[in-house]
Amino acid sequence: MIEGSGASIEFRGIGKRYGETVALADLDLTIQPGEFVSLLGPSGSGKTTTLNILAGLISADSGSIMIGDTDVTYLSPDRRGIAMVFQNYALYPHMTIAENLAFPLQARGRNLSRLAIKAKVQDVADTLGIGHLLARYPKEISGGQQQRVALGRAMVRDPKVFLLDEPLSNLDARLRLKMRRDLKALHQRLRSTIVYVTHDQSEAMSLSDRIAIYQGGRLQQCGTPADIYRRPANAFVANFMGEREMNNLPGTVVQTGGGVVFKAEGLDLTLPSTLSGWARFHDRAVTLGIRPQGVQIGQRADATQCEAVLRLVEHAGTEQFFYAQAGGVELSGAAAPDTPLAIGDRVSLTLLSRELYLFDTASGAALVQGGDLAA
Amino acid sequence: MAVLRSAPLRHLLRGLVSAVIVVAALFPIFWGLMTSLKPARDIVTFPPSLLPATVTLEHYATIFKAGALGFLLNSLLVSAGTVALCIGLGALAAYGLARFEFPGKRAVLVAIIAVMSIPVASLLIPTYTLIAEIGLVNTHVGLILVYSAYQLPIVIWILAAYYQSLPIELEWSAMMDGYSRFQALWKVVLPLSRPGLIAAGLFVVVFAWNDFVVAVTLLSSEDTRTLPIGIYNFLGFYGREWGPLLAASMVSTIPLLVIFVVLQRYFMAGMTNGSVKG
Ligand SMILES: Nc1ncnc2c1ncn2[C@@H]1O[C@H](COP(=O)(O)OP(=O)(O)O)[C@@H](O)[C@H]1O
Ligand SMILES: [Mg+2]
Repeated sequence: MIEGSGASIEFRGIGKRYGETVALADLDLTIQPGEFVSLLGPSGSGKTTTLNILAGLISADSGSIMIGDTDVTYLSPDRRGIAMVFQNYALYPHMTIAENLAFPLQARGRNLSRLAIKAKVQDVADTLGIGHLLARYPKEISGGQQQRVALGRAMVRDPKVFLLDEPLSNLDARLRLKMRRDLKALHQRLRSTIVYVTHDQSEAMSLSDRIAIYQGGRLQQCGTPADIYRRPANAFVANFMGEREMNNLPGTVVQTGGGVVFKAEGLDLTLPSTLSGWARFHDRAVTLGIRPQGVQIGQRADATQCEAVLRLVEHAGTEQFFYAQAGGVELSGAAAPDTPLAIGDRVSLTLLSRELYLFDTASGAALVQGGDLAA
Repeated sequence: MAVLRSAPLRHLLRGLVSAVIVVAALFPIFWGLMTSLKPARDIVTFPPSLLPATVTLEHYATIFKAGALGFLLNSLLVSAGTVALCIGLGALAAYGLARFEFPGKRAVLVAIIAVMSIPVASLLIPTYTLIAEIGLVNTHVGLILVYSAYQLPIVIWILAAYYQSLPIELEWSAMMDGYSRFQALWKVVLPLSRPGLIAAGLFVVVFAWNDFVVAVTLLSSEDTRTLPIGIYNFLGFYGREWGPLLAASMVSTIPLLVIFVVLQRYFMAGMTNGSVKG
């Protein structure tokens, strides 16, 4: 068994199929000791499959897995030194909370005294604020408390790797934010390696050292939250990250006498000279992407401009979001909360250069990320 | 029907129907019990009285003197042995079917259903020959083996359905917590399957306790006889002496009744839980 605080994890060419369904395709991913990595993606994208294979609960069709320096590909779950919190918590219904927490410590080979187990259980329960629940049964406590017990049962034997499968998805919104903070604090203290599955991009952004983003059983990109947000590898990643949907404008890049122009449906956007490098993409169908935060009201020198009519305005506390018709396309943008906006107003819009993305329409691959040509 | 829509009336009607069913089912047993407690001369009086004027245990004394205790112990031994063997093997077999994928799994499941639908009587000659071949005729072990062979399919079926209704993450959790698959079965799956185990056990016990045909075929000597054969022999021995006959019937009926009353809530849970999802 491998012990210690935080081990590295390496997936090498891991694949898994269920009949015709490719649950996981050729996954290569390395996770550093003590790192907090989120597996992010829509439902059915292969996140749980990745965790279950890492845990040894299901076997991969191909590839190998290293934990630390050990090849664990054929090791049974109990010998991998991993703890896991399942989406449904999987608390043992026939045991009290205390018995649930003690269960991992009573496994053969751990040889802990009754007293040591009791002390450890109390310690973990106090850390998580569930000390007063020890005598109850799982069905007698709330969802948030069950979640803590599940976490406690994973923590109690100081595993070197934690796997968490959508641990917060059954909690209400407020509690979710609180647990997010607690999890982060816990990781700071324990420094174990954490692999965290979620379909909530804001959860992944706020918790993770790095995010691995999945679609259709394929790892799309792995990087820091800032990296993924600012330098998405493709249109899927760019659209998945961020609270609101990106504006996506299919069109072409054309070199004219007056400079480089992006032609969308019924809308010609003349690009500033700083973006003249885009001319090289003239030969293919492309999609211009820009998040609402990059579409602003007013004119600015040396940026992309267009005229539009306001169609809809939404207040969202610290910001207003608006939808405006520009030629044949609808653009969503953001404005300060005190900007006077009325439906039907004609406005000038500025598309900030550092918020512009360009994707190859056919492959989805990013050509321009945050205004810069992709490497 | 307008009357049925009023709740008190509907309750009343339901209560009445239930009462009729209960009386119809329990009356023979009750009458048998009462009669077994009457002195011999009171049994045949006309008109018959329901309750005994004087209570006596003389008929019970008679049958116990005639060896009923031995039959009772034999029945207990054979039933307990059959339940233990069926649950022990069935719990493991059902787990394999519920949780593992293997070639031929469908065929095994179909075979189990098919075997369940074969009437016991048609298997009597071949099983007798088989048991005779291995020298277990007229032994309790032989009888236990045959009973288990007959009852294992239903036990496996009930338990496999029950296991499948449990979230697999519970076993996975135990395995990640440092337990082997077998330990996970023992410490997590089996405790949670108690209703299923009890339902399956009751099926087996009812069969083993009540069986006459198989026992009379396999057992030949007085000292190995189980209760049903013992009672059958009383029939010839006591002729029309209803007292001892009914006392013997009570001795064979009441233990099962008590078991059912004590365990009935598990039995219901086991049957519904297993069957709905299976
Ligand atoms: N036991 C299974 N049998 C058949 N298909 C499965 C099984 N488990 C997962 N899948 C399929 O594999 C794909 C990935 O599933 P999963 O890893 O659970 O996705 P996620 O956790 O990202 O929602 C899905 O298409 C799912 O339907
Ligand atoms: Mg999942």
